[in-house]
Amino acid sequence: MATRRRMLLKVIILGDSGVGKTSLMNQYVNKRFSNQYKATIGADFLTKEVQIDDRLFTLQIWDTAGQERFQSLGVAFYRGADCCVLVYDVNVTKSFEKLNNWREEFLLQASPSDPENFPFVVLGNKIDVDGGNSRTVSEKKAKAWCASKGNIPYFETSAKEGFNVEAAFECIARNAIKNEPEEDMYLPDTIDVGGAGRQQRSSGCEC
Amino acid sequence: MAEEPAAAGAAHEYPTIDPSFDVVLCGTGLPESVLAAACAAAGKTVLHVDPNPFYGSHYTSIPLLSLASFLSPDPSPSSSTVAAAATSGSHTVVDLHRRTVYSEVETSGAIPELARRFTVDLVGPRVLYCADEAVDLLLRSGGSHHVEFKSVDGGSLLYWEGCLYPVPGSRGAIFSDTTLKHTEKFVAYKFLKVVQEHIAATSASADERGEEEDAAMISEEDLYRPFVEFLNQHSLSAKMRAVVLYAIAMADYDQDGPEPSDKLITTREGIKTIALYLSSIGRFANAEGAFIYPMYGHGELPQAFCRCAAVKGALYVLRMPVAALLMDEEKKHFVGARLASGQDISCKRLIIDPSYKIPTLDVPSDDSNSNFPRSVARGICIFSKSLKQGTSNVLVVFPPKSLEEKQVAAVRLLQLSSNLAVCPSGMFMAYLSTPCTDASAGKHCIKKAIDALFSPQPQDSDGFEGHLESTSESTDDMKPTLIWSCVYVQEITQGTSTSGSSWSCPMPDENLDYRNILESTKKLFADIYPDEEFLPRNSAPVHGDDDSDSAE
Repeated sequence: MATRRRMLLKVIILGDSGVGKTSLMNQYVNKRFSNQYKATIGADFLTKEVQIDDRLFTLQIWDTAGQERFQSLGVAFYRGADCCVLVYDVNVTKSFEKLNNWREEFLLQASPSDPENFPFVVLGNKIDVDGGNSRTVSEKKAKAWCASKGNIPYFETSAKEGFNVEAAFECIARNAIKNEPEEDMYLPDTIDVGGAGRQQRSSGCEC
Repeated sequence: MAEEPAAAGAAHEYPTIDPSFDVVLCGTGLPESVLAAACAAAGKTVLHVDPNPFYGSHYTSIPLLSLASFLSPDPSPSSSTVAAAATSGSHTVVDLHRRTVYSEVETSGAIPELARRFTVDLVGPRVLYCADEAVDLLLRSGGSHHVEFKSVDGGSLLYWEGCLYPVPGSRGAIFSDTTLKHTEKFVAYKFLKVVQEHIAATSASADERGEEEDAAMISEEDLYRPFVEFLNQHSLSAKMRAVVLYAIAMADYDQDGPEPSDKLITTREGIKTIALYLSSIGRFANAEGAFIYPMYGHGELPQAFCRCAAVKGALYVLRMPVAALLMDEEKKHFVGARLASGQDISCKRLIIDPSYKIPTLDVPSDDSNSNFPRSVARGICIFSKSLKQGTSNVLVVFPPKSLEEKQVAAVRLLQLSSNLAVCPSGMFMAYLSTPCTDASAGKHCIKKAIDALFSPQPQDSDGFEGHLESTSESTDDMKPTLIWSCVYVQEITQGTSTSGSSWSCPMPDENLDYRNILESTKKLFADIYPDEEFLPRNSAPVHGDDDSDSAE
């Protein structure tokens, strides 16, 4: 264990357009927030080193690159995810109702070996908006849905204020590790033409 | 000009898209996907649609169970309500139709268990050379983050006089090869030395080249002669000649055939491929041999480029056919596309999947389309024992005439195993192809190759456990048993341009690699945006940083 190379964990963030997926990533990784919305351009994924119980991991957080807008994420995007984060906007009921579609889409496309226990984390974002007065989805309702889907951990966040973002991502990282199979190298000898350490990544999902 | 609210109401759930883009692409095959990434990297606004619910078009990898419907689609009644060539406003609307590109589809055997876990390439057999352009483009675009590869660890085998022989990958391998006679080794070694010295000398720049290097170079005159003549000078054995011509230089057609001219490769071409082969070996520390194959199948490659395009701002809409094209009043240029949702999108440039028939314009056709149809016969096999013991993935080349006298072109076969996540463990897949002008001859040739390497499925009447003792007749009959197979013919079309406003991309060709396809994609881009650089080296997106630092 001690000699093991630092492990890469792939996390993907799903949810309707405009719920704050990119902002959450940026707040967590860069401690930055921009009020200006633009449909995601420019970032492929963000990485962050995390230490969990004396072990170092590289969290690789993948953005949808706007391909979620017309439900056009390809199967390659989902491959090998170690944790899937589902985000909705607490002020937009429709984005909450769509969580179920996103979850099912993930399970269908990624076809993880153990779909029942694949780690999801749900984030209810934008709780800062209008001091919470414009909120349309209650915490109770969101928690009830999470409970019904195998007790998915749930966090209420504000990417704008940085509220609860750190805690949410720590939970995401812990869950991603849990998904790690014991013999962690499902793909031990893949060739990474880019020379980066992608082959260290375990593959949580196989198709 | 976005009028046309008429049809919008009828469309169910079709979202509205911006009415205008620099470029609209339809179809997400590898050429279209690379072009989308290149256009987006050049700062163009890009809309990329595909009628299918998945990426890749004719370059995709699809579940085994979907293969039949993909190869033989239902003749889709043009659901468009638009009358052909209706005029609306300032432009003319012309319905777009698709043509059939696959034919002669023939499957046999039973669909294997766990069918859901087989993924089938439409471009097979195909690999990347470790040192080829495709790898370079993946690196330049940032697409390399989205694909992982594995080696064709078993290297290449030559089918010769009914047996399989290893193809040496280096001068050293020639000596350790136990199937070669001593004199054969010596001649082959000398030949490879000449070629390697030529490659080394040409890669040195002119001024650092001394007399020694000059002497090592093969003369210009020799370089333009047929490669086969050059080989004859070196008195290689017939088998070594076949190895060099068909398994390393990858010649397609019989180089000793009666009808020479365009089918013969020149020494220059032959040596270029040998150089690529040699420089591929050892390029990546953990790659064995010259070839690599993308995990999960070739369908990952278009997705990687589409993702790069998306990261650069291209808009992606799957499940969205283009119903019609919009032409200007004089019918000289295309000015946009009508989506199946009824929405009209105006664009300056239109790039279309090769299976669409582009309507003709009222301008003299400039493309030198004396296109006599070119085709490739392809085969797909499923079996449960490796063709070469102890290896997962292996390439097999059947030189012309090796299967029968009338075999005019080489047949190539690529065996893939479950370590590429394309089939369940314990199973193998093989892809075969051969170029052909006559569909039935091509198919016949593929079937011959399948028969040469596999035993047919036991008949239903035999108990399935009883095959062990029944095949005791010939000792070398350890052939894998074929479980399922499919043979079909695919039309090959080239990339074309129509009046500088629309382009059609190439279909997957008969080659083992993507070199020609990417070369023609690059040419298309130069035609589409003559002033823009094609995927400049720094076009990979930066990772781990916010977009706020990039000057927008």
